[in-house]
Order: sequence, then structure tokens, then C-alpha cells
Amino acid sequence: MDLTSLNNSLRLITPEIILSIFLVIVVVVDLILKSNKKVIPYLAVLGFAVTGIVVISSLDSSGFAFITASTSSKQFGMFAHDPLGGFFKLLILSVSIFIVLFTITSSEIKQIHLRSGEFYALMYGMVLGMMVLVSAVDLILIYVALELLSLSSYVLAGFTKLRDRNSEAALKYMIYGVVSSGLMLFGISIVYGLTGTTNLYLINSLLQGPQINILTLLFAVLLIMAGVGFKISAVPFHFWTPDVYEGAPITITAYLSVASKAAGFALLIRVIQIGFVSFVGSDGFWNLIPVFDWKALLVLLSVLTMTLGNLSALWQNNLKRMLAYSSIAHAGYLILALATLSTQGVVAVLIYFIFYALMNLGAFYIVMIIADRTGSEDIDDYDGLGYTSSFLGVSLIILLVSLVGLPPTAGFIGKLYLFIAVLDAEMYVVAVIAVLNTVVSLYYYLRVLKHMYLTKASDSTQSVRASGGEKIILLLLVVPTLLFGIYFQPIVDFTKSCITVLGV
Amino acid sequence: MDLYDIIFYLFALLTLVSAYFVVTNKNIVHSAFFLLFTLFGIAGLYVLLGADFLAVVQIMVYVGGILILLLFGVMITNKITNVSIKTGTIHIIPAAIVIGLFAGALASIMVKTQWQTESAKIPFTTSYALGKSLITEYVLIFEILGILLLIALIGAASIARREEKE
Amino acid sequence: MYEIINDFIQIEIVSMFISAALPLFVFILPFALFAVLAERKVSAFMQDRIGPNRVGYHGILQTVADILKLIQKEDIVAEKNDKVLFNIAPYLVFAGSFAAFAAIPFSSKYIGSHTEVGIFYIIAISSLVVAGILMGGWASNNKYSLLGAMRSAAQIISYEIPTALVVLAMIMFTGTMSLDAMSQQQTAYFWNWNILGGHETGILKIVLTPFMISGFLILFTSTLAEVNRVPFDIPEAESELVSGFHTEYTGMKFAMFFLSEYANMFAVGAIVTAVFLGGYQSPFGYIGNSIGVTWLVPIEQFFWFTAKGLFMVFVQMWLRWTLPRLRVDQLMTICWKYLIPYSFLNLIVIGIITLL
Repeated sequence: MDLTSLNNSLRLITPEIILSIFLVIVVVVDLILKSNKKVIPYLAVLGFAVTGIVVISSLDSSGFAFITASTSSKQFGMFAHDPLGGFFKLLILSVSIFIVLFTITSSEIKQIHLRSGEFYALMYGMVLGMMVLVSAVDLILIYVALELLSLSSYVLAGFTKLRDRNSEAALKYMIYGVVSSGLMLFGISIVYGLTGTTNLYLINSLLQGPQINILTLLFAVLLIMAGVGFKISAVPFHFWTPDVYEGAPITITAYLSVASKAAGFALLIRVIQIGFVSFVGSDGFWNLIPVFDWKALLVLLSVLTMTLGNLSALWQNNLKRMLAYSSIAHAGYLILALATLSTQGVVAVLIYFIFYALMNLGAFYIVMIIADRTGSEDIDDYDGLGYTSSFLGVSLIILLVSLVGLPPTAGFIGKLYLFIAVLDAEMYVVAVIAVLNTVVSLYYYLRVLKHMYLTKASDSTQSVRASGGEKIILLLLVVPTLLFGIYFQPIVDFTKSCITVLGV
Repeated sequence: MDLYDIIFYLFALLTLVSAYFVVTNKNIVHSAFFLLFTLFGIAGLYVLLGADFLAVVQIMVYVGGILILLLFGVMITNKITNVSIKTGTIHIIPAAIVIGLFAGALASIMVKTQWQTESAKIPFTTSYALGKSLITEYVLIFEILGILLLIALIGAASIARREEKE
Repeated sequence: MYEIINDFIQIEIVSMFISAALPLFVFILPFALFAVLAERKVSAFMQDRIGPNRVGYHGILQTVADILKLIQKEDIVAEKNDKVLFNIAPYLVFAGSFAAFAAIPFSSKYIGSHTEVGIFYIIAISSLVVAGILMGGWASNNKYSLLGAMRSAAQIISYEIPTALVVLAMIMFTGTMSLDAMSQQQTAYFWNWNILGGHETGILKIVLTPFMISGFLILFTSTLAEVNRVPFDIPEAESELVSGFHTEYTGMKFAMFFLSEYANMFAVGAIVTAVFLGGYQSPFGYIGNSIGVTWLVPIEQFFWFTAKGLFMVFVQMWLRWTLPRLRVDQLMTICWKYLIPYSFLNLIVIGIITLL
């Protein structure tokens, strides 16, 4: 690799380089400041903001970095800088900024403030892993980025060490994660044995060749789906989600439920679109190479995930666990959008993700505020809270209605685009199942509202007041939820311009 | 059947028998020591494939690092709470069925697939080629692995440390 | 040596095996015979006494008497000991120390195995010794043995890091991992030895020499810790842990531990000479070359290598009666807080100078 192509590649990975520099700065600042660590969160936000600005400015350029493989006409690298990657990077960075703002006021993080420098360093590691994962097109780079992401999140899930539940959550997360990474690596090695290369573009051209053993490929892809399905909490690989979401500190739960899922979905979109699509038709539908039936697998996964997520959430009394199962259900809807195997499907996934991030972050933030003040996450302790803390009550109404998907909120627009894509692909039965699931989800979301407004407060509940800063952050999440329910065209235009994947 | 084949079968037998005893032995310290022989057998298989550097790295990292850590963990926690660690299987029939299906699928795949092969001479030493490709072709992966190790170090130290009272 | 044996026995792999296994009989056993006696005599003279002088002429046959004694002692295996692990441990430790001899260049004609990963292989295989020590300490079913074994294992794996870093700097400098090639590069006279700047010339040599000398000191110290010698002999300190991990061993098994310790001492002395002190090269030319008898040269090289190695072993014995023993936390502090930063600095400077 000569110096000019190295320079080109370095220019294309500028956001990741800036992120690494800020990681080092955070670690060094943590080392220098012994006891007063209040400045580190703001430094972290600054780092994410600078990286975000760089990503926005390079959103229109695209190219390969680190060319490793070349056919006779084209050159392929292992890192693809294209608008789809840029979209996910922006999403992940903005979610990270919100999470850091959450941790400034969170009481769990305040209790471990002596170690908080390491917390932000680990968050930087996680963000770096996610940013490389959404742009990686070489199987080895995918695995390494996935490991970086997973390792930081195992440690972050068990970071506060304050209760037994916390360490139990981290241990369960780690054991499940390590086993699924191992299975994924086994699948990657079988794919390498079949095709002789690890670059997804070359695998595409080799899979169209004559001698691929279908059964072996089926086995390998199922193993790789074990790893990817773990990250997106798809149903047979979802068993870690409720326990980890309940045991981890609530800011990390919010982070895992949005950002980690986004990275997993970006990975899935890339693997299918680059690895298995032979050409995209004029109506937007993908024509797959006939070696593996992705549609059947994705439809099966999505139906199982939606149903199990929604039905299990009905029984939950702990709010964090209920939100965990609800996030599993949302993953099911997202997989359904992807199962249409069309560009409309990908647009629906991206739109749904933006709104899902807003709604989920807002819901977790309100649960965090209430848990900090009253010390409980149980739904019975929310009795009558709607009257004593009216600001939180109204925000929670808007966010929960949006999570169900009723107009005039953003959640409705997300589900609208999802159903448009599904009906366009003529998958009527699955669409009916999705609508039924949405109806079921109405119950457990509105149950919270019932406890807040229609149940009399017991004498021991105290009123929860959100401080000024917390109100501002909550408004930043709630107002867009309402606004985008009515005026959503800019979001749709933005995502439609972001779905081009390099080289397809 | 020349001498190299016999050596291969010996190493393979060592690896498989030790792996079997790792899993089925009732005494957990014995399992850890059988793991030593398994890792050693794999290093021998690497040497037979011509990957000398990888074999030495396997011994240095796995035997010299990971196995020692495992041994420390097992030895210190084995007799502390007077609860012996149970290492048996609870549901034998379902486990046997699932493992049998999985092993059958795996065996048929391994035997019947046409793997991509290329004819290559076994190089005299792999260190130069390995080092060169790590720095030119796979340099991004190399750097990210560096950050991964840093994060692992920070995370492990942060989790394992005893809390300082203010 | 491999070629000579291969001409005799036509099978490649058997001759490879024999040539790699030869140091055991040709070298280690006579060396152990010599080293046990030397240790006792050296310590005696340093402590202003005479030492063993009853057996043979001035005590020369003392080691033979020791071995006869150890062979006929009863082999005690206590009831609660883990019998399988207890019996295997000494042989594992000995196998680790002995396997390192396969890559040590005794002379230009004799090196056990011409592998390209020479020094790296030696460092890796010494980790078998750690596993054997832990096995021995655990199987003794004795709190103090377990404690000694844990301390020894922690010490060895901590001090592997400065060893590997200094060796890495030298690999960068000489461009090869094979000890044979490293020794061949330090030809001609003693100012070409690596400790005095190696094959660089001019101003770079003068700049490099202090870093080479500090690298030599760091390597010597860390390898001293790897063989559990003073000042790092907490694991086998007689006044603290009775005898550390080999307390419960008697008879032939104890002899195995003993033998492996001396073999290890020579192995690390050999590594230090091969990397820094010119290996088997003589400091001022070869007699064989100057009188035209070329087959004398390998024999001279063997003589020089053994002399340098034995000198390093003598220094190790000398240090035993000069320095006091370090406490366990001081030991760890030296490794992690001082030796590792210095060896990183060494690595960076030698790397930069190599580039220039």
C-alpha cells in the first residue's frame, strides 16, 4: 500500500481518528484531575460534537478506505465511507451526546464519580466500535469492531457495582455475548473457507459462481445471524435483554437499547445488501442471489420477535423490564421493515430509527428521573404521579403515545412508513400480525398512564420535580416527537438521500 | 503413511483426548490442566501447517497467559466457600440429541463441501509476511485492536479494583 | 549437527529430533554435575569458609554423592495429595527448562534446531515452567506450598514483560529472531558485540552504547527473576516459606526440580550472552583461523560460548550472597513501575536509532 492511498484512506476515516484523539484526551484529563471530575462529561460532549460536525461535512463524499482487494475493474477496501454509514454515525453520535447529558444528573453515576473518567473513556471506546462497525465491509473488520463494541458494553453494564443485580446483569451479558461472538466467528470462518476471501463485495461475486454448497452456506449464515441477532435482540437470541436492561445503570440501558441496536441493524443491512444482492430492480426491490432465502428467515425472526416482545411486556411490573421487552418488540418491527428487501424498506428502517431513538431516550430519561427521586422503578410507585409532577406526566403521555404509534406523534409516522413498505411488498399476512401486535402494545403502555393519572396517590409518594437542566433536555426530546408527527418531510428527504450504499 | 502423518495423528489425538477430559472431568483443577495439553496439541498442529510464528504465539498467549489466569482463578476459588463446583450435565437426553444433530450437521458439512484451496509452498518463516501484511493491508484492524486492548485494560482495572473510601 | 546425524540416519525427522535433544545428555547433565558443586564452593569462598572437601579431591565428587543420596531416598506422596498432578509436576517443570535448550546456539556448527523464531520460542516455552510450578504447589495440599507457587507464578509472568520488551528491541536492531543469526552478526572483535553498540559505526555507536548497556542490565535482572534466584527468591526462601513449592517433594522428584533450576540458570545466562555478549564469537579472533586449521573454529566457539555462559552463572551465584532478598511488594514495584517504563524507553530509542 503506497503512501498516496494511505493518505486517502486516512482522510476518509477522519471522524474515527478524531474520536480516538478525544479518547486519549479523556483518559489523560482523568489522570490529571484527581478528585473534581466535573469537567469530563462536558469534554466528552465536545468530542462527540466535533466528530459529528466532521461527519456532517463529509456526508456527500464516498469512497473506499484501506484498499485490500481488487478485481480487474474495481478496487474494494475494507472500510466503506458512504451516506448510509454517515447517517448511522450521526444517529449514534447524537444519541451518545444525549446519554452523556443524562449521566451528568444521574444519581447512579454521581455515586461512582471517582471512577467516572473511566466511564466516559469506555463510552468513547463503544462509540468508536460502533462507528467502525457501521462502515465496515470486511468480515474481519466487522468482527473486530463488534468485539470492541461488545467489550466496552459488558464493562459499562456492570460499572456501578452497587447492587448484586448489576454484577449479575454484566455477567449474563458477557457470557451470552461471548458465546454469540464465538458462533459468529465460526460462521465467518466457514464463509472464508467457501469463498477464499473476507471482503463482502468479493463474496458477492463469488457466491454467484457455480460451486457453492447451499447447505454449508445455510449453516454459516445461521451462525453469523446468531452474532448479529444477539446485538439486535432478535428472538431466539434475546434472553439477555430483560435481565441486562434491568440490572445495568439506566443511562447504559437507554444507550444499549438505541445505539447498540442501530449498529447491529446497520451491520445487517450491509451484509444483506452488499453480500447477497445481485442487482436492485427499478421498483426498488432487491434481487437476491438465490443461495439463501433471506426473506423467509427475516419474516420468521420478525414475527417471533414482535409477538414475544409484546406478549411478555404485558406481565411486567418493573418499568425497566417493560421497556426492555418493548424494545424487543420494536426490533421486531424493524426486522419486518428489512424483510421487505427493498429500498423503501431501508428508508422505513432509517426513519423509524430516528423516531425510535427520540421516544426511547425520552421514556428512559423520565424513568431515570423518577427512580432517582423516589428510588423505585416499580409501576405501583407511579400512582398519582401525573398530578404531583405535571411536567413529567405530560411528557410521559406524549412519549408513550408515540411508542404505541398513534397520531399525531412521530411514532405514528414511523409505523406509517413501515406499513407502506410492507404493503408495497405485498406481505399482507405479516402486516396484519404487526397491526395486531401494535394493538396489544397499547395495553401495557397505557397501563403506565392509568397508574399515573387514574390511581390515587398513596400517602408515601413524594412529588417529583425535575430540575431546570433536566427539563431542557426532556423538552429537546419531547418537542421533536410532537413536531415530527406533523411536519416530517425534511426527515423523509434526509433519509432518502442517505440510503446509497457504496458500490452496489 | 509417512512419519509426518503419524505425528499429525498423535497431536490430533492429544488435542481431542485432552479436550474430552476437560469437559467431562469432575475435578475442576484437573480440567484446567487438561486444557494445558489441549492448547499444546493445537500449537503442534500449527507447526505441522507451517505457521511457526503462530504456534509460538499460541503457546505464549494461551499457555503462558490465559491458562495461568485460569489456574489462578480455579485454585483460589476452589476451596474457599466449601462448596464444590459441580461439573456434571443435568439434562442428558435433550443435550445428547441437540449435540448429536449439531455434530452430524457439522461433520457432513466438513466432509462434503468443496472448500476453496490454493496450492502454496510452505514458507520457511511466516514472521516477515505476517508483519508486513499487518502493517500494510490490515493496518486499520491493527490500530483498532490496539484501542480494544486499551479499553479492555481500563475496563478490567476499573471493575476489579476495590473501592477507595473517601 | 543435524547434517551429520542425517547423513548417518536417513530419516529427516528422527535426526531433527536427536539433534534437538542432544543438549540434554551432552551438556545439561555434566553442567549440573559441575554447577551444584560450583555453587557450594563459590558460596563457601564468599563466606570465608571452605565448603565440601571430604568427597574426592577437594570435594570434586560431591555432586555424585548428592545424586546417590537423592536416588535412594524414599519417595513420599502424602495421602491427601493429588497423586496424578503431584507426580507429573516435576517432569513438566523440567520439560519446560529443557525444551529451551533446543534453540540455543552453542557454536556455529551446533544449534539444536534452526528455527527462525528462536528467541521468541525460548520465552514462550518457559511458560510451561509456570504451569508446572502451579501444579506442584497445588498438588502438595500445603498452604505454604500453594502460596509459594502463586508468588512464583506471579513473579515469573510479571518479569516476562521486561524480558520480552528488551528482546524485542534487540530483534528490531538485529533484524532477526534467530539467536544463531544474532550471534553471527557480532563477528570479529569484542567491540562488535551488541552490548557495545553492535554493528553500527561512528557516532551512532557511541549514542547507542548506554542504551545497550541498560538493556543488558534490565534483561539480566528480569531473567534473574524468572529463575527465582536472589534477590528475587521469595518463592523458595528458606526463612519464609520453608522451601516454597517444592517443600513436599523428596528423592528423585526433588532432584528433578533442582536439576531444572540449574538448567534454567544456564539457559538464561546463554540467552543474555547470545543477545548481548556476542554469542559464540571470540573477543579476539580464532586460533584455528590463524594457524589454518578450520575445523578447530567450531570447537573454539563452543568453548567461548560455554565460558561466557558459565561466567553469567557465576555472577548469578555471586549475587546470591551479596544482595538481600526483596519483599514481594518491592519485587512487583520494581517490575511494573521501574523496569517496564525503562524498557519501553529503551525500545523507542533503539527503534529510532535503527531507523537512522
